[in-house]
Amino acid sequence: MRIHPENCYTKVMLIEVKNLRKTYDKVEAVRGVGFEVKKGEVFGILGPNGAGKTTTLEMMEGLKSIDHGSAKINGVDVARDPYKVKEMIGVQLQSSSFFENLNLVELLKLFADLYNTSTQPLSLLEEVDLREKARSQVKQLSGGQKQRFSIATALVNDPVALFLDEPTTGLDPQARRNLWELVRHIQSKGKTIILTTHYMDEAEYLCDRVAIMDEGKIVALDTPSRLIEALLKRGFAPKKHVELATLEDVFIDLTGKELRD
Amino acid sequence: MQRQWRSLRALTRASIKMYFRNRTAVFFTLFIPLFLIAVFGLLSNGSGGNITIDVTNYSHNQASQQFIQQLKSVKAFKVEQVSESEAADKLGRGKTDLQVIISSNFGATDPATHRIIPSAVKTYYNAGQPQNGQTASLVISELLDGFNVQLTHTSQPLTVQEAGIKTNNQNEIDFLLPGVIGFSVMQLGIFSVAFAFVSYKSTGALRRLQVTPTHPLNFLIGQSIARLIIGFLQVAILLGVGIRFFHVHMLGNIGIFLGIETFGVIMFLMFGFAVAGWAKDENQAAPISQLITFPMIFLSGVFFPTTGLPAWLHRIVAYLPLTYLVDSARRVANEGATLWQVRGDLLGMTVWTLVVLLIAVRVFKWE
Repeated sequence: MRIHPENCYTKVMLIEVKNLRKTYDKVEAVRGVGFEVKKGEVFGILGPNGAGKTTTLEMMEGLKSIDHGSAKINGVDVARDPYKVKEMIGVQLQSSSFFENLNLVELLKLFADLYNTSTQPLSLLEEVDLREKARSQVKQLSGGQKQRFSIATALVNDPVALFLDEPTTGLDPQARRNLWELVRHIQSKGKTIILTTHYMDEAEYLCDRVAIMDEGKIVALDTPSRLIEALLKRGFAPKKHVELATLEDVFIDLTGKELRD
Repeated sequence: MQRQWRSLRALTRASIKMYFRNRTAVFFTLFIPLFLIAVFGLLSNGSGGNITIDVTNYSHNQASQQFIQQLKSVKAFKVEQVSESEAADKLGRGKTDLQVIISSNFGATDPATHRIIPSAVKTYYNAGQPQNGQTASLVISELLDGFNVQLTHTSQPLTVQEAGIKTNNQNEIDFLLPGVIGFSVMQLGIFSVAFAFVSYKSTGALRRLQVTPTHPLNFLIGQSIARLIIGFLQVAILLGVGIRFFHVHMLGNIGIFLGIETFGVIMFLMFGFAVAGWAKDENQAAPISQLITFPMIFLSGVFFPTTGLPAWLHRIVAYLPLTYLVDSARRVANEGATLWQVRGDLLGMTVWTLVVLLIAVRVFKWE
């Protein structure tokens, strides 16, 4: 079901980012970032904390002003028409929080109203496996459930592109894998997904292409397998022999894939 | 345009729902004022405010009995007959306002001359709290004047003609209700907005709204409309309880009263938004909200008239926003004032609203 980038060069560019720059109090957080995202792919932005991933994303989402450069989504310039862009995209913020004292259905309806659209809250909740939590409040959800609900709110407007900022940070292995499956499921429905992460296994598993950022710049951009290939060609040899399984595989094998929330 | 309208309605509805599901907010804006009204309403129905007088009578003649009867007939007096030592003890402990001693020759006549023997009624009052005692003492000397006229069969050239006039008896609860309602309006405007908004800001709920195509102002306007509706209901409930259960007299137009209080909600909303817009989190919002509201609770005539304050302070507190609100509402309720008659207060509230709105716009930060 995965769309391999090799097969989709003919696909339309959905997102075009050119030479983005952002400066806070004389500190350049983003220094000339540019990339393109094709329709239907999962594009990952990797990098250590403070690399400028979130700032880059927030400029593309119209949440932060763009100091220099441009970002176009589906042909619409974010700086020129942020509201039009916001209508087309779905966003999960890094630490999403919602109004208190409203249940999940009420929140989804509220978000649908904000997009001037209508939604079927229950089927949306079904999609993120939260159907039975329909009448709960966000504060009663576990970490993984919160993230899944946050993705549900980002889907109310049936967006062309979904932005996920560190969707699995702080989740246990089961919840993490569960969220990966959700991301793949959403991709299979034809959505384009841009996500940031600092987990390499996550990027390797989910992303068709990744951009590695450091100190506000993209230092590499390609498919995960080609990036690894290139590294090996440069003469890199792992210190230890490659394990055939990781400790996480052991953990999952022993505790199962079942969600614990 | 249509979309903005729809999201405004949705945000307003959500704000109202969230408010009524927030037990703390409902407790502070509705139950605390109701509790205050109930307490003061019950207190003012009791026999509070009487002047207590202890009388020691050494005379036991008809004249002294008659005098004591007259004392008892004064409505503001609570008269008890006790021994001199007990009376002195009670006065010393502040249990009575005035001690009265009638000497044994009170109203007696000299058997030789058939003239009345001069005799003094002694009164003692607590010098530490002289108001009640001195007042009572004056009334007693008035009563004695009357006796003198009777006994000597002379006429006094100058007298006072008294007549009780039936009025809409203003009692303490009549004074208090507009104060408590104004207080609750202030709490609603400042606290409910400052805390709700700041928590949305610090948790990131507000940021989440900013990645939707709704205009951020819709959120502020929705919150304001929700508070106006809640404030209106709150004032109506408090006023209704006051009138129905504590027999508060409403001399003015109820519509004008509600209108003034609603204007009060708008004015204090501006304070709420200024605090919420400036503060980063609850730790900043809480003390600044307290700093604004706390002095006004005591200086704006909520629970007692400001006329007792030193003149210089009295002049200053007249300009406080809560003073304008409470004064105008009280004049409508207690004196039947019209809008035109309270225009000074309304002007004051308008100025506060505009000035604080400007400050709010200046200091406002979305995150």
